[in-house]
Amino acid sequence: MALEVEILVKGAAYIGAGFSVGLGAVGAGIGEGYTAGFATQAISYQPEKTGDVLKNMLIGQALAESAGIFALVIAMLLVLMDFGSTTMTAVALAGAGICMGFGAMGPGIGAGFPAGMACEGIGRQPGAGGSITNTMLIGSAICQTSAIYSMVIALMLMFLDFSSRAFNPNAAALFGAALSTGMAAIGSGIGEGMSAGGAIRTIARQPDSTGRATANMLVAQAVAETPAIFGLLISLIMMFKVYPDSHTIIIAASLLGAGFSMGLGGIGPGIGSGMAGEFALDWFGRSEDTSGLLTRTMLVGQAISQSTAIYAMVIALVLIFVI
Amino acid sequence: MDISGVDIIRAASLLGAGLAMGFGAIGPGIGEGYAAGRACEAIGRNPKEAGMLTRTMILGQAISESTGIYALVVALLLIFVV
Amino acid sequence: MDELTHISQWIFTIGGLKIVLNSATLIHTWLIMGVLILFGLLAGRRTKFLPNPLQSIAELLVTTFDNLVKDATELDDRRYFPLICGLFMFLLLSNIWGIIPTFVEPTRDLNTPLGLGILGFVVAHYTGIKFKGLKGYLSMYFEPIAFMLPLNIISELAKVVSISFRLYGNIIGGSIIIIVVSSLVYSLVLPPLLNGFFGLFVGAIQAFVFTMLTLVYISYQMK
Repeated sequence: MALEVEILVKGAAYIGAGFSVGLGAVGAGIGEGYTAGFATQAISYQPEKTGDVLKNMLIGQALAESAGIFALVIAMLLVLMDFGSTTMTAVALAGAGICMGFGAMGPGIGAGFPAGMACEGIGRQPGAGGSITNTMLIGSAICQTSAIYSMVIALMLMFLDFSSRAFNPNAAALFGAALSTGMAAIGSGIGEGMSAGGAIRTIARQPDSTGRATANMLVAQAVAETPAIFGLLISLIMMFKVYPDSHTIIIAASLLGAGFSMGLGGIGPGIGSGMAGEFALDWFGRSEDTSGLLTRTMLVGQAISQSTAIYAMVIALVLIFVI
Repeated sequence: MDISGVDIIRAASLLGAGLAMGFGAIGPGIGEGYAAGRACEAIGRNPKEAGMLTRTMILGQAISESTGIYALVVALLLIFVV
Repeated sequence: MDELTHISQWIFTIGGLKIVLNSATLIHTWLIMGVLILFGLLAGRRTKFLPNPLQSIAELLVTTFDNLVKDATELDDRRYFPLICGLFMFLLLSNIWGIIPTFVEPTRDLNTPLGLGILGFVVAHYTGIKFKGLKGYLSMYFEPIAFMLPLNIISELAKVVSISFRLYGNIIGGSIIIIVVSSLVYSLVLPPLLNGFFGLFVGAIQAFVFTMLTLVYISYQMK
């Protein structure tokens, strides 16, 4: 049975679309459910604050939805649009879908944390409602940047023309690029969300510490974003380095390995850095003099927990450049 | 495209190196982050002991790093020695 | 897409050695240094009690970093303050530099973040040797068990790689995303918004994170 290339491209696009919206739904579902759980808990403690809590729950859930919406957009583009017809395009489209899917999963779960903590905090301290909502908005929005990186890689895979390159190693390079950013964004998304949740808990407890807590939340999130940045770097290197045609599967396998290495390698450190940030920010507001000490310890802890991401990036670079 | 046995072994070893380091980075990442988090909480409760607590945190993190190093060593072995 | 991979360079040979210099990076680094020196001269001269805007910015920077450095290093003199404050000012201006049309951030070239990371590494280890003596410094690598020696060495090197690549990745990732989105979507709103987010916001935070981590590594070696 000879497969025509158009059928292959269509099939790959549909599979990619399935992965994209399917995995994206996982993240948004978990995040929004977590938010709703905390919202109901907050209402049960303070029924008269139902209005405020519900308002924050809806806003928070809308933010958690945004990564899912990105995934939906990519999926619709994959289903409805007509792409070129080379086997390279088929691999690129499947990769785009997988990249966006994984990339939307992390931030979706992550955005549930600030929203849930915001609902709980408003239930406890309605007076601080303004600062809590603001910080929730900022924290969730930054959490979505990993999804944006995945979406940019997915769009590049879909719309840039790679058909002039030799199929054998370059198709694996494109798929590896998709895996690299997509999976690394999972960890960073969840981690940044956890840090934002911790910051909001502190603000709910001590509303005067809002300024310091928000500033340190930004720092913690910036450091927790690093594995996704490494994933993005590896993806860009793999997409823009053009490999000559090869008759063996060795180079293709090494590029796939590089994609798995950086992609999977970004998950753990992202979550870990986020956890470090969450606990540090949680204790932030309790006293003003320890905030410098806490920031420094948080930064050291986060930097050390990212060392395995560095190892993964080094292995990925070795697999790309040395083989 | 002819795929010979030697090729398959080399390809498998490279893919395996990627998977080794990839999965191997997950655990220590989460664990060390948790240690850092609890250390920050402990410092929040007891800022005077900050020096001791930071040293303990770094010690604990260095030991949890060990499986990550094992993964790195195996990945490098698979790339360069096999 | 060509702007992405294009690096303008000066290549010349001296006595058989081929020397390659990244011209854009060098020119813009010197420009930034010139701006910072000018800022220093203008802000520091004739300090009045009611400060002008330049002096206010300078005072804000100096007091913030003085407190941070004193808090971290627990020393009374201002030994490390110039390094840390200068590092932050240079990085802040470098990361924002790309907003000016046709200007290229020096931190977009891997050489700049890697160089600054190695600078921090050398200063930190020199501090360790000075404060603890050579024996104390070397014994740090064997803590807590002698078996940990290779792990400790690897983790020291990983620190340099991590801070440099974090800064480099954020800046170049941001600029690539801006270029790619601008080529996919022709709009008047999106590229400046993205530029503002990645350039100003992310740039400022990354400059602060890099500076704080360098400070923390230096102060850690003092104990």
